[in-house]
Amino acid sequence: MEIPYNVQVREDTGVYNSKLGIWLFLASEVMLFGGLFSAYILLRTGAPVWPPIGEHGSIAHLLTETIPHATFNTVILILSSVTMVMAWVSLKMKDLSKFRLYLGTTIVCALIFLVVKYFEYSHKIHEGFVPSHDTYMALYFTLTGLHGLHIIGGIIVLAYFFGPGIKMWGTEPERFTNRIEIIGLYWHFVDLVWIFLFPILYLLN
Amino acid sequence: MSDSHHEESFWRKYIFSIDHKTIGIQYGITALLFLFFGFSLMMVMRWQLAFPDQAVPIFGGLIKWLADLNGFASDGNLPSDLYNVFGAMHGTIMIFLGVVPLVVGAFGNYIVPLQIGAPDMAFPKLNMASYWVYFIGGVIMLVSFFLPGGAANSGWTSYPPLSNIATTGQTYWLIGMVFLITSSLLGSINIIVTIIQLRVPGLTWMRLPFFVWSQFVTSFLLVLAFPPLEAAGILQLMDRVFDTSFFLPSGLVVGGEVLDVSGGGSPLLWQHLFWFLAHPEVYVLILPGMGVIAEIIANNTRKPIWGYKSLVYSVVFLGFMSFLVWAHHMFMTGMGQGMSIFFQTTTMIISVPSVIILSCFMLSLWGGSIRFNTPMLFALGWIPMFGIGGLTGLPLGLSTPDIHLHDTYYVIGHFHYIVAPGTIFAIFAGIYYWFPKMTGKRLDEMLGKIHFFFSFIFMNGIFWPMLIQGLAGVSRRLADGGESYAHAQETLHLNEFMSYSAWLLAVAQIPFIINIIRTLLRKKDAVPDPNPWRATTIEWTDTSSPPMGHGNFEKVPTVYRGPYEYSVPGDSADFTPQTKK
Amino acid sequence: MSGNDMAHHVANYRKIFVYLLIGTVLTVTAYYLEFNVQNSIAGAVFVGLTIAAIKGYLVAANFMHLNSEKKIIHWILLLTIFILGLLLFIPLLWDLNLMSHY
Repeated sequence: MEIPYNVQVREDTGVYNSKLGIWLFLASEVMLFGGLFSAYILLRTGAPVWPPIGEHGSIAHLLTETIPHATFNTVILILSSVTMVMAWVSLKMKDLSKFRLYLGTTIVCALIFLVVKYFEYSHKIHEGFVPSHDTYMALYFTLTGLHGLHIIGGIIVLAYFFGPGIKMWGTEPERFTNRIEIIGLYWHFVDLVWIFLFPILYLLN
Repeated sequence: MSDSHHEESFWRKYIFSIDHKTIGIQYGITALLFLFFGFSLMMVMRWQLAFPDQAVPIFGGLIKWLADLNGFASDGNLPSDLYNVFGAMHGTIMIFLGVVPLVVGAFGNYIVPLQIGAPDMAFPKLNMASYWVYFIGGVIMLVSFFLPGGAANSGWTSYPPLSNIATTGQTYWLIGMVFLITSSLLGSINIIVTIIQLRVPGLTWMRLPFFVWSQFVTSFLLVLAFPPLEAAGILQLMDRVFDTSFFLPSGLVVGGEVLDVSGGGSPLLWQHLFWFLAHPEVYVLILPGMGVIAEIIANNTRKPIWGYKSLVYSVVFLGFMSFLVWAHHMFMTGMGQGMSIFFQTTTMIISVPSVIILSCFMLSLWGGSIRFNTPMLFALGWIPMFGIGGLTGLPLGLSTPDIHLHDTYYVIGHFHYIVAPGTIFAIFAGIYYWFPKMTGKRLDEMLGKIHFFFSFIFMNGIFWPMLIQGLAGVSRRLADGGESYAHAQETLHLNEFMSYSAWLLAVAQIPFIINIIRTLLRKKDAVPDPNPWRATTIEWTDTSSPPMGHGNFEKVPTVYRGPYEYSVPGDSADFTPQTKK
Repeated sequence: MSGNDMAHHVANYRKIFVYLLIGTVLTVTAYYLEFNVQNSIAGAVFVGLTIAAIKGYLVAANFMHLNSEKKIIHWILLLTIFILGLLLFIPLLWDLNLMSHY
């Protein structure tokens, strides 16, 4: 039993099913991160000083020190977005080895992002700046943590397509190409969120 | 298209099915069980309200056992700590484990693909995943009853700071909600894509049954409104597990001591994020029900529904407006006058499409050849009940009377009129109506009428006195039913009356349960009638023996006309199916 | 899609990548330049968010192909952004009073 418009587009809407599905999912993700951003806005506008001063003082100094790391992470993620879309282009050009190269690079960039994040987190925690220290730290860890979970989820799916999932290229290449387009959209969204998180968390203090 | 498919194992066919009809039934059975459980919690609470501190009959032993497990003192009575647990979980279970999975997961899943001529939902595997994630969420909620301190007890609204410092059950509630929200999101994405992409040729937007429109708008509400609550849930989990202060203001004193947290948080933040979902959520609770009522009224008046276009524009406008009214739940939080004016205005505006929809339903009856079968009786009963529910919302939506009525039994009466003899009647109507499509057998009419008649009486017996108590100022969420308040004394006697009505309402469901069991056990006719109601919508046009097979339609249907072409002049029959040229 | 089409797309992606890098450099530079307007951080916030919005738009329009996407996707996103706006800004107006003597 075939579900219509799984691969071919429906004429009046111009999209195939999973394209519409992923955009709706991304709409819900906009609202999820939006909810957290609204928390940031409300808590920040209600705070006498920002970042707030807690037991170990203010995170401001430490934060300034980590701007280069966060900038590096921003660049890495943007690069991974480019390699992601290039992976899709490679499939459109029927070049499987280029696809694997670009997809692999995307995954490596994502892993590098996580490693840098790990060092950032442990440095802050080591200095006593844990989530419970003040509302800025709480927001910092929650926002970047949720974002990080999304990166991990993305890596898992990308790894699947790099590995066992690639078999579909042999049997249903158009459907496989669509799938890469879909995960690509998710990946760009994750990059987009970081593009906003970076200035908001690191620079606007 | 009949699939000469391989024999599916029991697990594939019934447990991990990807067929929307099987999944719909899974949702239906699970949700009905949760509804029953949530109702049972309330029946115990009503004992405490009618006969405060007396041991609960029959189930006293069970209550004592649970209270002991949770660490509360009880000699068979419902102690106030456990009353609070039951209250919070009654609301949570009825809304998130009962009604929404029923109207969206069960009815939406089963009927929408059939009404648009599709072979299944757009994403069958995602559909299956949605059900199992819901199931896990439900298990987490149930398990929380057995924790020390019991399940969540800060109301279904979980306001901080109370919910922040509440017992472990609250953490389970938050985790359970994450699962339930995820399930809802995946399910509603599925419904939206299905409706947009899988309509058969000729089925234009303005030829869709109103039921499909109501599911479409409902799903948009779920996709856009639920995530802020998920965000809030994450924040509260951070507060409870990692000691953050998202919702804890500085200098909060608990038990005589200042809390050792960073402070700087805002309890109002939770309320914003919560009600941003929870207001659209109440429209999620009613819209699918309105869809069911429309189908049944058109079918049993043998004429087109009055004002189809008005209905469609109203339901879309209603969905949109539902995002603009949330702070009418927050009038008492010290909002500025500008905000108060804004939200009162939007709230008054949103009542207009509701009235239009109700009016269209009432006008549809005029000049109709009304058949008073069980689905129609529930639909007819729905109309005035929803009317009362809607009207009682008006003084709540205006901030001045809300000062008196906020957090009283008036609120409980208002929203229960909408959900109980509102949505639940629509659910009953839908079950009686679509039962033959799902099983090939009609439920017994006599038992159905008894079910309706007594349910109608006792629903009013429970909820009408609540309006009276609320106007007298009796607060909600009081384990003693108002006994310790002077202003409540005059209306206390109503508690016993309401409780008896609740228990009799439970008894009135027995004919319904017997009906279902007997009908299921009865043998199907040799050639079951695929369209016993003589209905026009696509799900009834298939001639295959109900229930339909995997993949639904033998041939892809083509649609030539609108959804409610009953009594078309010049036609020999009093109904003309959508698929007839 | 033909090879020429794709080559055109690829050239565009490279261009956008460079713009995004420039945007990132600008954002960080702006931070060090400290756009404080009358002791308020509003200026820095405005500059930072504007650059972020431009970068976001570049990613959405080009990598996510929103520019060439179908109307239905545009409408869904427009609706989402509007609803998001409500969530972000209405709570800020909580103390709004229309009569000056309150």
